[in-house]
Amino acid sequence: MRIIVVIGRVLDPAGIVVNRRAGRIFVNREEYILQPADRCALEAALRVKDAAGAEVIALPRSLLPDDDVLRQALARGADRAIHLVGQVGNLPYEDAAMTRVLAAAVQRLGGADLILTGATTLDTGQSQLGPRLAEALGWPQILGAWQVTIQRVSESAKWMMQAVVMAQRATLKDVILSDRRERRISWLHERETLRCAQGDIFGAVRRDGAGYVTVEADLPAVVTVAPGALKLRYPDGVRLINVYRAGDAVERWEVSDLVDEAALRPQLEKRGQEFPPERERGVRLSGTPEEMAQALAETLRQRMRR
Amino acid sequence: MDVSYLDLLMAQQEEVVEAEGGGGVWVVADVLDGAVAPVTLEALGAARTLADALGAYVYAVLLGHGVTGLAQTLTQAGADGVRVADHPALAQFALEPYLQVLADLFQAQQPEVVLFGATAMGQELAPRLAQRMGGGLIEHVTAVSLDEATRTVQASVPIYGGEYLEVLACPEARPQFLTIEPGAFPAPFLDPYRQGEPTLLEVEPVEAAVHVVGPAGDFEPPAVPLSRAPVIVAAGRQAGDFELVKRLAAALGGQVAGDRGARDAGWIGHEQIVDVRGVTVAPKIYVAVGIRGDTFHNAAIEEAKFIVAIHPDPTAPIFQIADLCLEADPREVLPPLLEALEAT
Repeated sequence: MRIIVVIGRVLDPAGIVVNRRAGRIFVNREEYILQPADRCALEAALRVKDAAGAEVIALPRSLLPDDDVLRQALARGADRAIHLVGQVGNLPYEDAAMTRVLAAAVQRLGGADLILTGATTLDTGQSQLGPRLAEALGWPQILGAWQVTIQRVSESAKWMMQAVVMAQRATLKDVILSDRRERRISWLHERETLRCAQGDIFGAVRRDGAGYVTVEADLPAVVTVAPGALKLRYPDGVRLINVYRAGDAVERWEVSDLVDEAALRPQLEKRGQEFPPERERGVRLSGTPEEMAQALAETLRQRMRR
Repeated sequence: MDVSYLDLLMAQQEEVVEAEGGGGVWVVADVLDGAVAPVTLEALGAARTLADALGAYVYAVLLGHGVTGLAQTLTQAGADGVRVADHPALAQFALEPYLQVLADLFQAQQPEVVLFGATAMGQELAPRLAQRMGGGLIEHVTAVSLDEATRTVQASVPIYGGEYLEVLACPEARPQFLTIEPGAFPAPFLDPYRQGEPTLLEVEPVEAAVHVVGPAGDFEPPAVPLSRAPVIVAAGRQAGDFELVKRLAAALGGQVAGDRGARDAGWIGHEQIVDVRGVTVAPKIYVAVGIRGDTFHNAAIEEAKFIVAIHPDPTAPIFQIADLCLEADPREVLPPLLEALEAT
């Protein structure tokens, strides 16, 4: 099984100060971190790898000047990482162009069973890369998953049941050997409650209004993982050092080999910045407590909708 | 004086005329609890403004089962034409059947601008339609303007959750897809004199690729630490009844916290103290109930996006940093507040 996880980077908001009155953004510390939702997608991919066995390949969400996020993915357990080298204008919004590049990359890799990526980006809040990729490949999509599990099921019903039990026993043992923390094991037990059916079945827990529902789809599929759904594991120390020491740990693919120049034309353009008005502090409500309570309830209700 | 003929006259004037042919500004309607979702009405208001500037018509698309009656609301909110796909297969939102209907419709009509609400449905459908039709998509739009020379919509999107906005445009690719952030646009006036007949669409059911197995009963979402909670209701020495504070937190879907006074009263644990020496928080909404607000507490809530303070003393330091101040005893404010919030 082959899992592709698409990850990106974001300028750490802790290093930015937005001055609304001056209408300027001050970058005090230019440090890039993994997109929070992409961190969860990477963890989901690694958990599937732990449970069912898979090859995890990391690809970038946009064309990056360096391959640091890909090395971080390798250090945490991804098997391959491919740095796509090229120029796309207006970087963070070129999801349409990146969809073409990534679809071509998936083709060149010889297809995949599952593509995981973050449900949204921290900075621009755009969530279109996952569904666009699903459309380009003609695959089903599950957006905003909180938990991703996978099961290999055979064609014959009898064999199917056995295979499930054996796979679970084997993976449970592997996980106990590799990681003794209790949380991982309890997560594996939850997997057993999933329904079995023909083909490669795959379940994900998705948020639906107030509660959570389990949904399933045949593979191949595109799944986007909600930010904060899973906690990314720490990298293995020795692996981390090796990944950063080896010059060729990350493969380099030229984008021009994958798609022609016309496919990379930017679709959206940035036409400026706006700053919301400065906060007006100390607004006092007047009236009786009941009137104040009504006004406050209305304000809170409007705020909750945002 | 008999003015009943006025009604008749108005009705005649406001009879909606629908144009033939392509183009137009389209809105895909969300249905929430058997009614048109507020975000759809807001999108119709935005669509009306755009269409008037473009010299185009506004169309609404309604998908579902037993929803034909809602078409009237869409017309009243500003749609010149309403297309309804009413079929049992569309009763629950599923991507493939909905996508099939909309893709067929838009391929035939070639819209200029398509608006969705930034809801679960809009976020699933808009990118797939944009990809299929080669259009551009701008998500989570909070304001729109028009570049009339090129008939291009310029849309503002919040960056880092609204720290600032970037204005984006899609100059060449058509249609231009937008998803509208709920609550960002004013809801339009529902004009009872606007009337029109909805056009019914043919629906050929398509099998959905993703099936719902059932509620994930034993799934527990990961616990959100207080420092990253989106809504916090904190109690102080003057809070009065802590049970009311807990109910307020539940009504807002938030977490309970407090200052040192609340810990001394035994209401909260040590790990729930909001203070620079305890937990520093950055919620979207912070409600301080009966907290006087010493320097350490106020510094710990500096990053909060919206602060409400309820305290009987008008000189309490919390009022200097709060966005909304209520000089009142929490014991008098909380019961009517809970009544108003829990009613909806």
